[in-house]
Order: sequence, then C-alpha cells, then structure tokens
Amino acid sequence: MTPVIVVDQLSKRFGARLAVDRVSFDVRAGEVMGLLGPNGSGKTTILRILAGYLRPSSGTACVAGFDVVAEGLEARRYVGYVPEDVPLYTHMRVDEFLAFMGRLKGLTGRPLHDGMASVCERLALSRVRHMLIGKLSRGYRQRVAIAQALLNDPPLLILDEPTNGLDPRQIIEMRELIRALATTHTILVTSHILGEIEKVAHRVAILLDGRLLAVQALDGNETGRHLRLTIRGRPQETVQTCLRAVPGVGDVTMQGIARGEVAEYLVQVHTVSLAESLTAALVAHGFGVLEIRPERADLETVFLQLTRAEATV
Amino acid sequence: MSALPTLLAKETKALFASPIAYAVIAVFLLLMGYSFTAFLFLNKTSTLVHLFFQAAVLFLLIVPVLTMRQFAEERKTGTLELLLTAPVRESDIVLAKFLASMAVNATMLALTLTYAGVLQAYGKPDWGPIYSGYLGLALLTAALVALGLTVSALTANQIVAAVVSLGLFLVLWTIDSLGSLLPYPFDNMVLSISLLAHFTPFATGAMYLSDVGFFVSLSLLGLFLSVRALARR
Repeated sequence: MTPVIVVDQLSKRFGARLAVDRVSFDVRAGEVMGLLGPNGSGKTTILRILAGYLRPSSGTACVAGFDVVAEGLEARRYVGYVPEDVPLYTHMRVDEFLAFMGRLKGLTGRPLHDGMASVCERLALSRVRHMLIGKLSRGYRQRVAIAQALLNDPPLLILDEPTNGLDPRQIIEMRELIRALATTHTILVTSHILGEIEKVAHRVAILLDGRLLAVQALDGNETGRHLRLTIRGRPQETVQTCLRAVPGVGDVTMQGIARGEVAEYLVQVHTVSLAESLTAALVAHGFGVLEIRPERADLETVFLQLTRAEATV
Repeated sequence: MSALPTLLAKETKALFASPIAYAVIAVFLLLMGYSFTAFLFLNKTSTLVHLFFQAAVLFLLIVPVLTMRQFAEERKTGTLELLLTAPVRESDIVLAKFLASMAVNATMLALTLTYAGVLQAYGKPDWGPIYSGYLGLALLTAALVALGLTVSALTANQIVAAVVSLGLFLVLWTIDSLGSLLPYPFDNMVLSISLLAHFTPFATGAMYLSDVGFFVSLSLLGLFLSVRALARR
C-alpha cells in the first residue's frame, strides 16, 4: 500500500529541549496508526508538524507525497486535523463555524452546503447546528472539531487525543466513530491510554522522550512473533538452552512457575513458522510438547518491555 | 481561491461584535468632539490641524487595544492552530486582521468627517490640509496597526502585547525630541524614524512623497514581520 505519511529522521527542538529526536515511520493508505507514549513523549509535536502547525528542526515529513514545509499548502489540503484541546471559536454558532472552516478549505456553494449537511448527520450534530459552540458540552465540541476536519473529505485524518476529557459513554461513541471513519480514511491518532489505541489502531508507533522505540502491528499478522509453549521436561534451564539453540530464536523466558515437570515458555522468534523446528528440537532432546501457539503481543506488555529496556540503557 | 475574503469577514465580524470596538469608537469621538467644539468656540478658525495631532496621539493609545487580541488571543485559545493548519497562507491571515483593524480606524475617521462638514457649513476651510491630514492619519494608523500585529503575533498574552505596542509607539512618536540632543549624523537618523516628524507635514497641509514612503514602508515592514512571526513556529 502507498504510504500517505512518510516521516524521515524528523527532529524538533524547542530551545535546549529536544522534543522529537530523529523519528522515522510511515502510515499506509487505509491504515489506522496510533502514536503511543507517555505525556511529553513528542506525540503532539509530531502531529503538529504533520498538520503544518510546527516546522521541523531537521528531517522531513511528507503527506500524500507533499513535503509539509516546502509544499505546506498542498499537504494541508489532504489533512483533516483535530487538535488536542479542541480549540474552537466559542462565540460562533456550529453552522457558522463549519461554514467558515469549509470556506477556508476551498468549499463554496453547493459542495459547502452538502459537506456541512453530511458531517452534521454523520456526527449527530443536526440538533445543535444553530447553537453557540460555547454552550456545547465537551463531547459535542469534540464532534464539531471532527466535523470541521471532515468537511472537505480529506483522505488523512490526524486526531490528537480524541478521547481526552470525555465521559465513558462518549469515549465508546468516539471509538465507534473512529472505527467507522477508518473504513474510508487513513487515520493517525495519538493517546497516552494504551487500551484506547489497542481498540482502534492497526499499528502503533511507541514513543518515549521524543524517540521512536518501536512500530508494532496489532492486527495479528506481525504481532505473532512470540510463541507460547507448554513443555514437559526438566531441568527448565536445559529446556531454555534447547530452545535458544534453534536458529531464529531470540529471547526465551519461563512464564509463571512450573507445575511439576510442566512449564510455560515465551519464545521470541523471527517468524511463527519456527514452531515446527522448535517442536523437532524439543522432541529430539526428549521433552514433551503439550501445547504451542502464537502469542499475540499485548500492547501493554510491549510498551512496558520497551520503555523498561530503554530506561536500563 | 484566496481565503482572504472569508478571513476578513470573520475578523471584521469579530471586531465589531466585541464591545471593545464600540467602547474605543465612543471614547475617541467623545474626546475629539470635545476638542473640536472647544477649539472652534475659543479660536473661531476653520481648521482641523490641532484635531489631527490629537487624533494621532489618541491612535497611539487606541491601536494597541485593537491589535493586542488579534494574534495573542488566538494563540492563547488555540484557534491559531486551526487557522495555521487550514490550507491558507499566513499572509492572508495577517492581511485579514490588518484590514479588519483598519476598518475600525476608518470608521472612527469617517465619523470625524462631520467636523469638516461643520466647518464647511459655517466657514471657509482650506480643504488641502484637511485632505492631507486625513491621508496622514490613515497612513499613520496603517503603520501602527501593522506594528501592533507584529507584537501581538509574538506573544500569547494580550496585556503584554498592548503594553509593548504602546511603548513602541510612544518611543517612535517622541524620538525626535531625543534627536536634538544627539550629534550629527545621529540626530538625522533619529528624526528619520520619528512618527511625529513624518506626520507633521501631513497635518499642516504639506505632503511629501518621502513621508508617504515612510509610512507605507513601515506598514509593509510590520506586515512582513507579522507573517515571519507566524511562520516562526
């Protein structure tokens, strides 16, 4: 698939502080990509650079093939951006605001009218179209912010912490909305809540202190890079040595405590097809293989492993 | 298509929808009207020269109030992020704010034309100095608004924007008095950037292309710096 976003060695410095440090990743067409990291990890800065609000200190970022700095105007036409704090003109009515933003995006006449009607229907804003934005609840304001981003039907949506400040019901609605939008749009979304990202994204880029730690797929195709084996055999150290000896095997850890001769092992492999080689090796050493299955990496585990590993470096 | 008309409509509406514009216009007209009446009854001469100087000083105080919120408020509330991430040029955003502020100034100046009407009705005013005085005020306010926008674009705090703009305007207005204390060629250099020195010929009925060039240049410099301040992010 063609990448809609290509970020290459992107850095952003605010005075002495390096907010983003040589980050590179891409987002493919039709994909929902999550940027994940604790507060201050550089997520918003990266989104702001992609949306054209901030300029990178070094490196490049391209949206739909347009450099966000050199061809910023063209790049911004492809982006629907919803900033983190949902900044809106609170003195405007919803209709008035949408018309204003639509005209800025080049819509006039019938396309503007149709675009406004379409987003109001899609985001259930029809009831509040004539209300002042300042009088709306946080949930409705979030919808208005998303509505303005969708007005010109851009192929790429950039959502910065879209569930921030919402109540549990609104969070569920927002998640459903992102899922629905994902069928027709490429989406780059940030959150510091792992569970939220896990529920909507195909892949996540994990950031810490401005650096990209890893890009992790969540759709099960690439995440099955661990195998969970239940093995009968002693001593456990010998079992682990046997597993590690198979070419293509990385880290091997025993999970939980052994029940007699039986223990569970998590084996890092470069491909899940190594299951056959592992079974053969274990059987050759006289160990019993009770179960072997691909392990879908839990995002929380991956995040903690990566950030912990980073902290010990 | 340029986004300028859309932005200009939004900025003009925002300015005229706020009580600030009406308060500023009301105070300006009150002070101008008082001076006009007092001068007319005391001196009985059909001239507006003194009013032009008074208007210029009032604009030094009023323009910071008009421009302080233009970018500072948008930056503080975050709406500047919406504008700058929309497919519009920074120059359109700056120009829209400039023209909207100038619309308020033009309204104030247009309302003072009644004084000229009164002079025409009851006397025989020399229209040359009146035309040049209004042109001078228009050029002066354009330069002040452009510089005020630059200051506003550099901060998220409206009060800071207003105080810095006011300080800058007062320095540029009174700097010619410093010129008399300085040796050649510094005295000329200081005079060349004095707002008062360049405005006085307009108010007294003498128009020089160099003075027009000064105010136009200052306005363009202010607009350019505002665009650069927005681009620096």
